[in-house]
Amino acid sequence: MALFGRRNILLALLLLGAAAPFFVNSYQLFVANLIVVFVLLSIGLNILVGYAGQLAFANAAMFGIGAYGTGLLQVHFGLPFWMAFPLGAVIATSVGLAISLPALRVSGLYLALSTLAFAEFTRWVFLHWESVTFGAGGFKTPPVSFEPLPVSKPVGLYYLSLILATVLVVLAQNLVRSRIGRAFVAVRDGEVAAESLGIDLLRYKALAFGISGFYAGIAGGLYSAMLNYVSPEGYDLFQMVLHKAMIVVGGIASIGGSVLGAFAVVALLEGLREVKGVQEIAFGAILVVFILFMPGGIAAFLRRKVRGWDEPVHRAGPPPNPDPAAAARPASEAARP
Amino acid sequence: MLLLSYLLLSGVTTGALYALVALGIVVVNKATGVINFAHGELFMFSGFVAWSLHVGAGLAYPIALPLAVAAGFALGVATDRIAFRPLMKADVISLVLATVGIAFVLRGVARVIWGGKADYLAFPPITSPEPVMLGEIMVIPQQLAVLGGAIVVMLIFAAFFRLTRAGKMMQATADNAKAATLVGIRTERIYTLSFGTGAAIAAAAAVLMAPLTLLYPDMGFAFFIKGFAAAVLGGLTSLPGAVLGGLTIGVIEALAGGYIHSSFIEVSAFVVIMIVLIVRPTGLLGVSRVRRV
Amino acid sequence: MSGPLLALRDVTVGFGGVTVLDGITLDVGRGEIRGLIGPNGAGKTTLLNVVCGIHPPHRGDVLLDGKSIVGRKPSAIAAQGLGRTFQTSQLFRGMTVLENLMTGLHRRTRTGLLGAAFNLGSYRAEEEQAEAEARKALEFIGMAEFADRPGTALSFGQQRVIEIARTLIGDPKVVLLDEPAVGLSLNRLAEFDRLLRRIRDEKGVTLILIEHVIRLVMDVCDRVTVLSTGRVIADGTPDAVRNDPDVIEAYLGKELRARHTAS
Repeated sequence: MALFGRRNILLALLLLGAAAPFFVNSYQLFVANLIVVFVLLSIGLNILVGYAGQLAFANAAMFGIGAYGTGLLQVHFGLPFWMAFPLGAVIATSVGLAISLPALRVSGLYLALSTLAFAEFTRWVFLHWESVTFGAGGFKTPPVSFEPLPVSKPVGLYYLSLILATVLVVLAQNLVRSRIGRAFVAVRDGEVAAESLGIDLLRYKALAFGISGFYAGIAGGLYSAMLNYVSPEGYDLFQMVLHKAMIVVGGIASIGGSVLGAFAVVALLEGLREVKGVQEIAFGAILVVFILFMPGGIAAFLRRKVRGWDEPVHRAGPPPNPDPAAAARPASEAARP
Repeated sequence: MLLLSYLLLSGVTTGALYALVALGIVVVNKATGVINFAHGELFMFSGFVAWSLHVGAGLAYPIALPLAVAAGFALGVATDRIAFRPLMKADVISLVLATVGIAFVLRGVARVIWGGKADYLAFPPITSPEPVMLGEIMVIPQQLAVLGGAIVVMLIFAAFFRLTRAGKMMQATADNAKAATLVGIRTERIYTLSFGTGAAIAAAAAVLMAPLTLLYPDMGFAFFIKGFAAAVLGGLTSLPGAVLGGLTIGVIEALAGGYIHSSFIEVSAFVVIMIVLIVRPTGLLGVSRVRRV
Repeated sequence: MSGPLLALRDVTVGFGGVTVLDGITLDVGRGEIRGLIGPNGAGKTTLLNVVCGIHPPHRGDVLLDGKSIVGRKPSAIAAQGLGRTFQTSQLFRGMTVLENLMTGLHRRTRTGLLGAAFNLGSYRAEEEQAEAEARKALEFIGMAEFADRPGTALSFGQQRVIEIARTLIGDPKVVLLDEPAVGLSLNRLAEFDRLLRRIRDEKGVTLILIEHVIRLVMDVCDRVTVLSTGRVIADGTPDAVRNDPDVIEAYLGKELRARHTAS
């Protein structure tokens, strides 16, 4: 494993993250927590869009459902955060599974439309079902307590987020290079061929939607606890574009890239916090520029420049030292069956 | 009867505007097989351009209208050059996300230029906003003017598509791009023309709509998704289908708003489209078509 | 078990009033290499799609190993042991050759969501075995050295052979090959011929070749079925089919007509 290999870079980031509360101020800690939450969103979306190839626009809505689920279960039913949070994630997962149903009948642009319509419908419910969701003004959630641990709420929440994100990054990395990850990529690269190998489209599309719903739901629960406040505007189209920007900047179909994409997007978002119009211009332009000039995002760049960043779909990975002669040989004169 | 006639007329009026937005989406999709996700923002931006020309610079409405349509055409061409032409060999996801990027750039630019205190700009009415009673039926002259304008735009477009050389070439390319290339049509130009024409129709819709309502930078998306829904309802490649789809959505919205609750105006289109896509993904008029892979 | 491995009974398909397949009945025996030929528009591709579960037949039945597979999903039919390859290369773009082959093992591996995500021992063992099998399958087609290349970096002919290996690795009972010889040069054709026989003899897999290259079909097939305008017009040994007047007419007649309209 090369010194600057994928695993080492991500480990260094993790160590930096673990030490962060000791040397940052409260605003910086908030931003760090935001990054961790966005890592979860980015990975969930990348599994759905990047690996399974489903052009879905409902990630911001599922993020919102996680946040509203976690918040409302506390407010309406008096559940403690520790119960409301996993239940919120379960709700988001179920919704993810439910919206995969149209994906079985339609794909491509039609799927984009049906998920967009679903996202708008969700926001409408947040806004107008006032007796439950408290409408446009949103609602405050009870503060989370980490007693008896000797940590303040922001620090405790940050470590909770970091631990969950670390685990979920590892699980995602394992998953995408397993037979399930291969099935996702097969569905993306050729539905008919995938089916001819016995891969059930229904099952794997639903699974990808469910996983992305789960990651977004976890992220939403953490986000609601960070802000102690939930309102519809946090889960709008701009949020959707931020998610898309994370995977495009980090690298479509790359778990490591998803992590880096979350860093880049949150950093830029905070840098431009003042003006909404400028944020929109910046993130729109980033999407266009990366798609045009850096289609594989940061991950593709690292793959080219850094030995050891290879992200195989299978476990073993390419051989450590590929034979340069074999690689140079023209493909046409190879292989005698 | 009074309520129903009022709702139907306003539904048909908004529906005609959705139909125009849908027509633009269909024109682009027929030619290129993709959807321009910045279509709503092209609509919104052209509306603001019209506002600047009409209210800002004091030009008469009939002069501001064609100028804004020209601006829309230029924006459509720019979208093609930036987000479609370089990506013709890329996958659908990249193409769609690139147009999403364009959409947000336009939105941000509109907010920076025109976004005032509350981000809302009022466009002066072109005729009296007061309702008039025609026997049992209540009519708002403004709506009739908008509806008439929308019909004129549709007729002009139909004439362009059927009678002009450019329109016929667009049709030929949509039917069979390979054959069109063989007879000497430069398909890349047709794609550009389609993006431009689609945006010009959206611009016309925006200028027609402006006197009826307020302008704000976020309005493009709602019109895009309703236009997209209308286009899918009509089968995504059918021009008459797009018009029918637009009118259907307009009327459903108006009835849902009038008889259930005004908040249902916004959401009924989304519900309709989710149901249509689950039950009958090919739309009401459309025939199933091999999707672009 | 006796009886045909794959049987079509009166399979009929029409699109918008045009009958594409008209009462096709045919039996393919175990261990057979069957050729399926016919002029363009004869219905070969539709037949393939019906067998694979992509188009439902409007009438008739398809039996795999005595069990009806009509109305089942393509993935379920594949899981019952029906493999296929495609006219155009369908290797997964985002994978290496080895990964493509491991994907072919999908239906024979079992690891679920949690086993894979938590990297359980059983999953690791299964994965190692899958990789070993995939490498062995590459050796079988003599392409072991390409394991870690992206599939799409290879020549068209190589991609087609890898696709065959990807299907075979799933241990199908019967494989439908859709014009596998397209793009192969003449000297490659002889090698390909040998590969097909080895697949049958060493793996015990029944093969159905849908093919335009008549020479390959006549050399390698035990029996040949000829389709024309949606009907079976001949079915027999290559020699018998070659001399069948109906077949000659179906091919030559078409050619003559074509010449006539061209001039």
